Amino acid sequence: MARETLLTLAIMAALLGTVIVAQMMGEGFVITLATKATIFALAGVGLNLALGYGGLVSFGHAAFFGIGGYVTGILASHAGAGTAVATLPFTLMGSNQMLGIWPMAMLAAGAAALLIGALSLRTSGVYFIMVTLAFAQMLSYFAISWPRYGGEDGLSFYVRNSFPGLNTLVPVQYFAICMALLVLALIASSVIVRSRFGLALQAARQNDQRAAAVGIRPYALRLVAFVISAMITGLAGSLYADLNRFVSPAMMSWHMSGEIMVFVILGGVGRLAGPVAGAVVFILLEHLLGGVSEYWKALLGLLLLAIVLFAPGGLIGLALRRDRHV
Amino acid sequence: MSDAVLTLSHLRKSFGSLLATDDVSLDLRRGEVHALIGPNGAGKSTLIKQITGELRQDAGTIVFEGERIDHLDTAARARRGLARSFQVSSVIPAFTVLQNIMLAVLGAGGGVYRFVRPALRDPGLTDPARFHAEQVGLADRLTTRAAALSHGERRRLELAMALALRPRAFLLDEPMAGLGLEGARHLTTLLSDLRHQAPILLVEHDMDAVFALADRISVLVYGRIIATGTVAEIRANDAVRRSYLGEGA
Ligand SMILES: Nc1ncnc2c1ncn2[C@@H]1O[C@H](COP(=O)(O)OP(=O)(O)OP(=O)(O)O)[C@@H](O)[C@H]1O
Ligand SMILES: [Mg+2]
Repeated sequence: MARETLLTLAIMAALLGTVIVAQMMGEGFVITLATKATIFALAGVGLNLALGYGGLVSFGHAAFFGIGGYVTGILASHAGAGTAVATLPFTLMGSNQMLGIWPMAMLAAGAAALLIGALSLRTSGVYFIMVTLAFAQMLSYFAISWPRYGGEDGLSFYVRNSFPGLNTLVPVQYFAICMALLVLALIASSVIVRSRFGLALQAARQNDQRAAAVGIRPYALRLVAFVISAMITGLAGSLYADLNRFVSPAMMSWHMSGEIMVFVILGGVGRLAGPVAGAVVFILLEHLLGGVSEYWKALLGLLLLAIVLFAPGGLIGLALRRDRHV
Repeated sequence: MSDAVLTLSHLRKSFGSLLATDDVSLDLRRGEVHALIGPNGAGKSTLIKQITGELRQDAGTIVFEGERIDHLDTAARARRGLARSFQVSSVIPAFTVLQNIMLAVLGAGGGVYRFVRPALRDPGLTDPARFHAEQVGLADRLTTRAAALSHGERRRLELAMALALRPRAFLLDEPMAGLGLEGARHLTTLLSDLRHQAPILLVEHDMDAVFALADRISVLVYGRIIATGTVAEIRANDAVRRSYLGEGA
């Protein structure tokens, strides 16, 4: 088995182990933290597909995270009130079933990505970064100015959505759901990366002139990667909404986009478990240092700078050394 | 000309005030090596780029296998069988030799939007890729990353990628550059056989290779074709001797 795969398994086992120990010791708060890390990791796994494998530096993934969150919040609040979300062109009732909400959250995020990607992928480099940022900011301002679902204050719902056979309000059970989805997303993304599509996508990242010269069109490839990426991040947004039973425009702000990027860069761009390592370290730092000083983000900044300058493969790259990624 | 595979008619391309392609007409016929020679900056690479679609001509037409391809993008032209190599080797650096050739097989054959089966376990890609690696003598370098190849090996990898496109015409931009005597000789032998698979438009400064391979030669100077003819005709052409070949030729 490749060393990177072993490392991925080790990181996942450590996360799982932490939760098992916390459960035995009755540390509910630790489980909630681990759940948050798991959800952030999932958001990062989504971004990593675009950023790491596709070379698309999206500074707007919070848009998809937020869309996933709002779809969840809106469906849940309507389910709570027993009203329809929309009656035209067809009647859409609210829902409090995760199995129904997830596909909707992913579809909405994917549809938004199709639109945003189709436009922003006509640019590249700094312009791509700026255009994706601009779209996310637009959505965030839209959420702020839309009073129906809470506007600036955000939207609360009182009961976590349900999953057949589980009590999602029990922290460890909700963690299990998030963890299972993270594992599925990791498997899916490792499969995609190795597929024909993955081969072409990674070729276009490294040398799109060469890809075109052998008959491969980078634009469409990148658009598809962007959409898949957004769907995964949108699913993470849905889970995050359920974790907090609250969504707000902050989920779509550029801070959030930046944080998702930090998970990926800290952990290792284009490394399967990069976002997992990144999100776990982020949450650890936030928890350990955030209590000590409000300036913990300055420290995070320094760490990020050190990684970018001295270990461009991120934490995973550091752990594996010599082993270069494709 | 019924056996012309590729026909350029009155192509024109300028960069600002610089006329890089000045009313160029030229054809590439079945089974031939057509060499395009000329001094640095004459516009040879610019001409190749218009054929591949990397640059769009300002005027004139390009007909490939009886159809105009001017409106097609680079990828579409490649899929029709226009295979090119670059003046400065251009491969996918972090990919292995095998993956690079597989990419070309994938581009030619289509089916890019398949997400499940690992490409490396897809004989539809790996079998042809191995075959073309063998053709260019890279069979024992399959798992080497392209970035780690020697210059000569990278040239051969480019050729394998061109072959994997199942080309109907080759456009080779200075394939001998930097190869050394032995490497150039080896490549000359290889190219000599390829012309029967598809005709070759060969941009080359190495005159030994040009004279050894070419069925016809066109001479490009300041964007204009000043002469086209057989090797003997070009050797004997006064204008060509003055402007390009020099006294020794
Ligand atoms: N994108 C561009 N923008 C502006 N000028 C260009 C561009 N590409 C090429 N040129 C100019 O066009 C002329 C022809 O360049 P080209 O690269 O086609 O020459 P060449 O015959 O291939 O030369 P060499 O033998 O050195 O490869 C040169 O004067 C070059 O500087
Ligand atoms: Mg040139």
